[in-house]
Amino acid sequence: MKRYVEVYKQCMYSAVQTASAYRMNFIVSSLITLIGNILFPLVTLLIYRAGTSFPGWSLYEVLLIQSVFTMSSGLSSLVFGGVMWTTMSHVREGSFEVVLLKPLNPLFYLVATTFSTESAGLFLGGAALFVFSAWHVGAIPALAWLQFAGMFIAGTAVLAGLSLMMAAMSFKWVGNSRISELADSVLSVGKYPLPIFPKAVQAAATMIIPVGMVGFLPASALLGRVQAGDFIAILPCFIFLWAGMWVYRHMIRLYEGVGG
Amino acid sequence: MNRLKHNWRICRSVAAVTYKEWSAYRTHSLVSVIVGPVYFMVQYFIWTAVYGGQATLGGLDLQQMIRYFGATALIGYLIMDFADWNLSMLVRTGKFLTFHLRPVDHRSFALFQKLGHRFLGFVFEFLPCLLIFIFIFGIDMRPASLPWTIVSVLLAFLMNFYVNYTIGLTSFWLVQSGGIRSAFMLVSGIFSGALIPLDFFPHWLQVTQLFLPFQYIAYMPAMVFTGHYSLGGLELSIPEAVGMQGAAVLVMFGCNELVRRRAMKQFTAVGA
Repeated sequence: MKRYVEVYKQCMYSAVQTASAYRMNFIVSSLITLIGNILFPLVTLLIYRAGTSFPGWSLYEVLLIQSVFTMSSGLSSLVFGGVMWTTMSHVREGSFEVVLLKPLNPLFYLVATTFSTESAGLFLGGAALFVFSAWHVGAIPALAWLQFAGMFIAGTAVLAGLSLMMAAMSFKWVGNSRISELADSVLSVGKYPLPIFPKAVQAAATMIIPVGMVGFLPASALLGRVQAGDFIAILPCFIFLWAGMWVYRHMIRLYEGVGG
Repeated sequence: MNRLKHNWRICRSVAAVTYKEWSAYRTHSLVSVIVGPVYFMVQYFIWTAVYGGQATLGGLDLQQMIRYFGATALIGYLIMDFADWNLSMLVRTGKFLTFHLRPVDHRSFALFQKLGHRFLGFVFEFLPCLLIFIFIFGIDMRPASLPWTIVSVLLAFLMNFYVNYTIGLTSFWLVQSGGIRSAFMLVSGIFSGALIPLDFFPHWLQVTQLFLPFQYIAYMPAMVFTGHYSLGGLELSIPEAVGMQGAAVLVMFGCNELVRRRAMKQFTAVGA
């Protein structure tokens, strides 16, 4: 375990060093990500500016959902964001053997070596929006913060599971650079208040692919809108992460490269 | 006449080869059959909730809004383009040099490639999604005027290509134009009207859009499809709107030609 922590620390250090070697690229990429985040809730702002709303949700409450979603995406992208593209590239080029030859768990090796410093902009953009919207929704009790923390971690686990499933898919769907769009489209459900969707979609978004936990449920916890039953949805999140890891490991066994 | 025939043969050949080349990766296109309807479903429920009891928003009723998003999704499949990425890659790797040896200039070649690529998109993305929208979501996807919609989509196709190609041309100065590409995609995604109809923007921003290329790529063809165009207080009939779009495409072509001529003087590759 200690060795894995050391390796991960070393990989993080390398990623930061690489980013500082190409400072301008890092700054520009982070800035664009940051601006992208500022513009992401634009649709919501324009809807509310037009004098209408998501029924039962104020502007700042919706912004809170979207900021939690962005923070969770940033955190997941920081840690798991590069796994899919690196796996895809190795499988396409037939060089995945290089990963398999390392004296480490291949999944851990890929996660550690693809630490994505550029996603810091995504997380910081989300955090800024989070502070802004949380400031406007009124006082939040300590218990709500605790519930939020648990649900936020569960939501990040969902994103990690999705990343791993998409990465696993690239073992069979070789070289398809659009695989990530599949995850993005499903995730778009989690950016808005779940009650606007039909019951079937709500159920799927909490129990099957729990994208509701990425933005909606943690934000609802802060707003004191969660029911006791909502906490059950934490379980499928971690099952989802476990499933992502299992599928990825299973797909590694099906890899048929002939030498890198 | 012979020249025209010759050009037509080149266009047909490049488009056909691109179609065949990308047919090998047709499952890439089939991702749209899942992604497009999921995004559309999300938009459908968002706007159904937002309208609530309101009859109109931004000058559109709920049915028009749903049709608008259906149209933008489908038009997106017909005009999708990555000429900027492709050109940037050719310049960075020096492979652009080989295009100087070919009997067709690279811009025309890239345009013909796009034709072939999008024909594939028509078969594997547009048609399946159109059928899903009509038969699963029950959306009326009949355009207000089919001929004007076709003309408008063709103009949007050209506009998107010339804008992207101009972005790609910046690689002759910057070598790596990834930053500009990302920034442009971000701005274009918002101001083309693909996320939300431009009627929702503040008035001054709507007026600004009349002078920028973005609205001619998604908003205008989608509005021509719905049969009603207005922006920044300017209300136009469909033929007038398409005429304005045609003029905008000509202006963009002029800008592109200007940048292209200057870019060619910048190219310094010595081998590929």
